[in-house]
Amino acid sequence: MRVLVVEDEKKTASFVRKALQAESFAVDVMANGEDALLAAASTPFDAIVLDIMLPGRDGLSVLRQLRERNNTTPVLLLSARGEVNERVEGLNAGADDYLPKPFELAELVARVRALTRRGSENKSTGLRVADLTLDTVTHKARRGETDIELTAREYRLLEFLMRSAGRLCGRMMILEKVWDYNFDPGTNLVDVYVRRLREKIDANFEPKLLHTVRGSGYVLKETP
Amino acid sequence: MTIRRRLTFWYAGILIVSLLVMGVGTFQEISEQLQHSHRKEPSEHALDETSEMIFQVGLPAGVLGLLGGWWLTRRALMPVTKLTDAVKTIHAKNLGAQIPRTNNGDELDRLTEVFNAMTSRLDDSFKRIREFTLHASHELKTPLTILCGEIETALRDESLPQSERDRLLSQLDEVRRLSKIVDGLTLLAKADAGQVALQLETVRLNELVRDNFADAQILAEPQGIQVELTACEEISVRGDRHRLRQLLLNLADNAVKYNQPHGGVIMSLLKSGNMAQFTIVNTGAGISPEILPRVFDRFFRGDPAHESIIDGCGLGLSIAQWIVSAHGGTIQVESVPSKLTTVIVRLPLDTPAKTA
Repeated sequence: MRVLVVEDEKKTASFVRKALQAESFAVDVMANGEDALLAAASTPFDAIVLDIMLPGRDGLSVLRQLRERNNTTPVLLLSARGEVNERVEGLNAGADDYLPKPFELAELVARVRALTRRGSENKSTGLRVADLTLDTVTHKARRGETDIELTAREYRLLEFLMRSAGRLCGRMMILEKVWDYNFDPGTNLVDVYVRRLREKIDANFEPKLLHTVRGSGYVLKETP
Repeated sequence: MTIRRRLTFWYAGILIVSLLVMGVGTFQEISEQLQHSHRKEPSEHALDETSEMIFQVGLPAGVLGLLGGWWLTRRALMPVTKLTDAVKTIHAKNLGAQIPRTNNGDELDRLTEVFNAMTSRLDDSFKRIREFTLHASHELKTPLTILCGEIETALRDESLPQSERDRLLSQLDEVRRLSKIVDGLTLLAKADAGQVALQLETVRLNELVRDNFADAQILAEPQGIQVELTACEEISVRGDRHRLRQLLLNLADNAVKYNQPHGGVIMSLLKSGNMAQFTIVNTGAGISPEILPRVFDRFFRGDPAHESIIDGCGLGLSIAQWIVSAHGGTIQVESVPSKLTTVIVRLPLDTPAKTA
């Protein structure tokens, strides 16, 4: 997997590169829009992380140019402005995801991973992690031989975690996908829901499946 | 023309008219007397005739003079009254608006001109402060991103001793808190500068309230707080779905945070006239009357003693107030200290005329 990072701020570019490399991505870094377009034209990338505020040609213009050239590489936009309008504008221009600055590294990595897996996502109606199963048609959850009652919101949370099983899910990402919040509500809503869900799917069972990655988010997987 | 000159002309006009009335009246009286003089003894009626003359001629002239004087002062002070009324409507939000001028070049017109110049200078200063806040919050984002990223990178090091790890995690929490403050500040600075556009659509407010009720129950559970939804009428408003959800969650979160253990929260959504009325009551410590008017102020904390235990960026209610007023509604807080605090939000209903 090869990712292009377009970011003119050197320190940000450096830790984004390190974090993605740690997840075994090959990373190219470009500091301006023109170089990014040249790189994207000559190398097939699996994803592009694109800062909107770039010297010279800005990120949105780079994105439009890419899409005009029929380049369909998934793009994650980064922006320090973080306006709802800008997010809409970015998605309209052909971006696949949008992350306002300041962002959390874990969040960024999780999103890039989700982008590169796009298309190969688990779309089956029966989800399974260890002995936990979820039927997305009947909304029935079972752990081993025990039926688990879920509220609508808990179901959506569990479905999201199970579809991204084994991958870290950041709080913002969960808020976006499960609650459809595009703002940080400044509450511990996600943590409280995860705690409830954990009581239902993990409390009386072994092994534990829903793990907290402190300071980053949650991951559903068999091995800790 | 200066006011002094104008007033002199008007006054002269009034005097001339009074004199004319007096002259005409006296002339008529005298000619009448001349006609009858041969029939009557002038000495007998002289006194009567004089008082009649004063009554018939002097009184109208006097009344005319009085009315004229009243009209004159009124006329002279009218521009001052107009200017006062215009100045009254000026506040921080409409400094750009100019007071209409008469352009006749008098003292008051010049005063208006100077006043307009002053408000536009003030407007410039206000704009500069707003821009400063906006730029400052943008400038803070890059170092915050770097700080957050560097700490997270350091935490990835598996060989890090636990004590070091805890210290970094605590730093990360503070960086996140700072990020939230900067986010809130950016939003408010943008709202002040009129740069936040709402994505308006017809929103079924009752659905948002039901969702919010479900979330509030979950948020309240750890403290054993009971949440009730006593009424939820089917109501649509024209608004920004995301902002309205942010508003409701914000109010619910406050009602839980500032509550007491095993307390209660009661919500309701009702139609009230042509407004949707959302009410949320909590059984928290309440707010004393002295500080009630300040609860919407940015970074205002009612009780400094509780500051440390209640986590938040101190901008929640300011943001809530902005969301409500951007939707053309009102928000008000009432409180009975140590009993109940009530927040009432009123939003205009979505009328078919508006959507058409």
